[in-house]
Amino acid sequence: MPPSRIASSALRHLLSRFSYGVTPTLVAEVETAGGGQAWFEQQLSPGGIPDRRAAGMRDWFPYLAYSPARLYEVNNSGEYPAWQSTMDLGRWTILRRAFSKQQLFETMVEFWSNLLHVPMYEDESWPLRISYDAAIRKHSLGTFEDLLTGAVLHGAMVCFLDNAYSTKWAVNENLGRELLELHTVGVEAAYTEKMVLNSACILTGWSVHMWDSWQSYYEPDNHWTGPVQVLGFTAANADADGRALARRFLRYLARHPSTARRIATKLAIRFVSDTPSPGLVNAVADAYLSSGTDIRATLRALHSHPDFASSVGAKVKTPAEDAIASYRLLGAEPSRPTNDSSFARAIGWQLDSLGQKPFGWTAPDGFPDVGVAWASVGRVLGSLDLHLTLAGGWYPSQDVAYPGVGARLPTLPARFDQIVDHASRQLLQRPATPRLQSACRQMLDIPADRQFARASDFGEWNMTLLLATVLNSPAHAER
Amino acid sequence: MTDDTVAACGCPDFQTTRRTFLKGASAAAGAGVLTSMVGGVFTQTTFGAEAGGNVLVVLSLRGGSDGLSLVVPHGDADYARLRPTIKLPTNSLLAKDALFGLHPGFKPLEKLWLDGRFGAVQAVGMPTPDRSHFSAMEKVEDADDGSAARVGWINRLVGLSGTGVPNQAIQLGTSLAPTALIGPASAMSVYALRDIALPGGSEDPVFQRRTRNSLEAMWTGNDSLMGRAVDSTLTTTRDLAGVAGSTAGPHNGAAYPSGDDLGNALAQTARLIRADVGTQVVALDFGSWDHHENLGTVDAGDLQWMVRNMASCLAAFFTDLGTLGTRVTVVTISEFGRTARENGSQGAEHGYGNCMLLLGGGVQGGTVHGGWPGLRSAELVDGDLSVHLDYRSVLAEVIATRFPAVSVPSVFPGFQREAVGVMR
Repeated sequence: MPPSRIASSALRHLLSRFSYGVTPTLVAEVETAGGGQAWFEQQLSPGGIPDRRAAGMRDWFPYLAYSPARLYEVNNSGEYPAWQSTMDLGRWTILRRAFSKQQLFETMVEFWSNLLHVPMYEDESWPLRISYDAAIRKHSLGTFEDLLTGAVLHGAMVCFLDNAYSTKWAVNENLGRELLELHTVGVEAAYTEKMVLNSACILTGWSVHMWDSWQSYYEPDNHWTGPVQVLGFTAANADADGRALARRFLRYLARHPSTARRIATKLAIRFVSDTPSPGLVNAVADAYLSSGTDIRATLRALHSHPDFASSVGAKVKTPAEDAIASYRLLGAEPSRPTNDSSFARAIGWQLDSLGQKPFGWTAPDGFPDVGVAWASVGRVLGSLDLHLTLAGGWYPSQDVAYPGVGARLPTLPARFDQIVDHASRQLLQRPATPRLQSACRQMLDIPADRQFARASDFGEWNMTLLLATVLNSPAHAER
Repeated sequence: MTDDTVAACGCPDFQTTRRTFLKGASAAAGAGVLTSMVGGVFTQTTFGAEAGGNVLVVLSLRGGSDGLSLVVPHGDADYARLRPTIKLPTNSLLAKDALFGLHPGFKPLEKLWLDGRFGAVQAVGMPTPDRSHFSAMEKVEDADDGSAARVGWINRLVGLSGTGVPNQAIQLGTSLAPTALIGPASAMSVYALRDIALPGGSEDPVFQRRTRNSLEAMWTGNDSLMGRAVDSTLTTTRDLAGVAGSTAGPHNGAAYPSGDDLGNALAQTARLIRADVGTQVVALDFGSWDHHENLGTVDAGDLQWMVRNMASCLAAFFTDLGTLGTRVTVVTISEFGRTARENGSQGAEHGYGNCMLLLGGGVQGGTVHGGWPGLRSAELVDGDLSVHLDYRSVLAEVIATRFPAVSVPSVFPGFQREAVGVMR
């Protein structure tokens, strides 16, 4: 029998960067769409991509529909604690990444959530974190200018970085500083401490009715007035209502060349390599600026740059990417959760135990995005355990279906080396290398030429070991 | 984490371990980091230093410990005035002098104090107050004002020790990005010492050997980042097999409190130190000390059993270490102290000045170091004990005396340290 079809190396590369796992189903969808370039364009307009199955998963988490005030209320009453309602956002996010057809969109939601990071479970912002996610999603493929404004002035950010307490009498610099350092221009822009203070002054007045309605409000009485200067931005700031000023300031920062470079560098690190070339960064930054911070135009420039095509396998999968790709490649089919051990709920803890539940980084700078941060012994041990556990379907095991042994085997009878090759094609989109063949022979203790006539002869245990070994391979560790 | 923590004070974030202590940089410098979660105690251990060297154990009292209840200023008349219900009576205190006495829960450590191996520094903290768990913890752990690098002082310490030990020493790589959010349904199961093993562990050596062989077949000679991490994993699991698989109990008749997370973490730490695999710094998170309410009194409330528990664990740790204890220095640190005045719930709010406790090798103990600014209203900073001494001066003195090869200014850039006298 002929071996099963696989994606070309170029297509596999494109999909490994702009999706959460290259499955045979995804490869078939790309072919239907007319190839990689057409798929990429289609993905830039996610509204046109039917996504019924993943959309229905939102209902699996009823508390995601609760207002911040009600989430706070049910936490206080003990009905549904904060660590659960915020984790629901994480669980739903994992499901979106694993099962949404709008794969590129999900990669961008993750990217922006990390750049404009508000931790999932932070003491003074958690009731607003679900609403914050909607704000990020709204502009993830729009303009950065809108995204920045929506994020920085959102109650979650206002609470997280203490702007809610910042008044003209006691200016709190936290948000004003991180806005410059993390969200926009970066320290390379060489702003002064006085500019940090001015940045914070501009933001005074934006607050939230904390521990109550959790609604955002603006208090002109709290707004610091007087001339301000931050980098090239100056204003008389005479009006106690500083809302228009703040929006002008954010717009200025979004369009600043340092912001363009910083975002271009971060995008290049996410989608190309840990050490992007200056040429790539310049090209992406130029597209960002000339398009008026349009995210789609920026991504097109990144994708069409020659560095993109030549960066095959240059990125280390993070533990979360490893887990989510494994869910996809192993063909997990979750159903509505019935308890905390159900797949759709347990995956939150599974990523947590790997050190990377969504939005789980506690500092305002977001998860690191370079391989050196994730290539550690702890991570390797975690991944080995994860692969074995998932390959065996041992955890999470409730309210989820996996393909049976028969469905994972090639046409029988087949030799062991053909079975390995088939698994490699299905999971890694490439033929089995001699080293993978050797690894599988040693793990399963089966010679290459042994014939299997029936699925039951091969058996579940051997299939578990085979799948785990394929997932332990270098090809799965990178993207 | 329990939901009433959130309801009570709305500030559970200290429980989400904010680990800037150890990350990234240490790998390049040849040190490795092992991360483990023993129950609720988050532990990070560095390796890669020379065997037989000194060891620093940093015990982070997460949540903002109430230094006034640990090293009690019973001789300050304002103490009793500010704390009518939660004050500790003078006659209950241990190792009293005219001004200070130890919380009675320190009884298991009283002998160490009297022997001069356990001491304290009062009125320490950061140069400016920060009453947010979140940013205060980051600042304490970063200890590098004005730098955006977010590296962490322990990282700088292990990165700069200059022992020249190559990566092939016990290289455990950097830690996973740490989060320690604990809910009752948590599947939190990161690496206790026994988990530093390939799947199969010591219970199934055949399976473990097959896993090892299959990984070697695929990864040997792979020089990518992950290739090196896999190589380190294969080395580490082999080298630590004796320590990880060992079921040997504590030495010298040490009795850790049964089933206690801190005790388990310290017991594992003692085993690693005894195995002499180049352990240099061990960072443990222990909490919560965020006693907004029911901080309590001498024999009731939340604080007293935590002190007793911590003291029992540390006493067992030094018993367990025996003569090795002279190589090991324990220092406690917390993101801030608590308000001088008690609140209406037999607790105290986020404050400023705090105490630090030091035990073991090199400690000039048996006394309370540091100056005492006093608790008179005029001396308080927004109602809190003021800071007489920068906490970095204490850490710098520990580093200077215990790790003389390390350049202290490189660990605390731009910081001018004061002599404290707590280390000899």
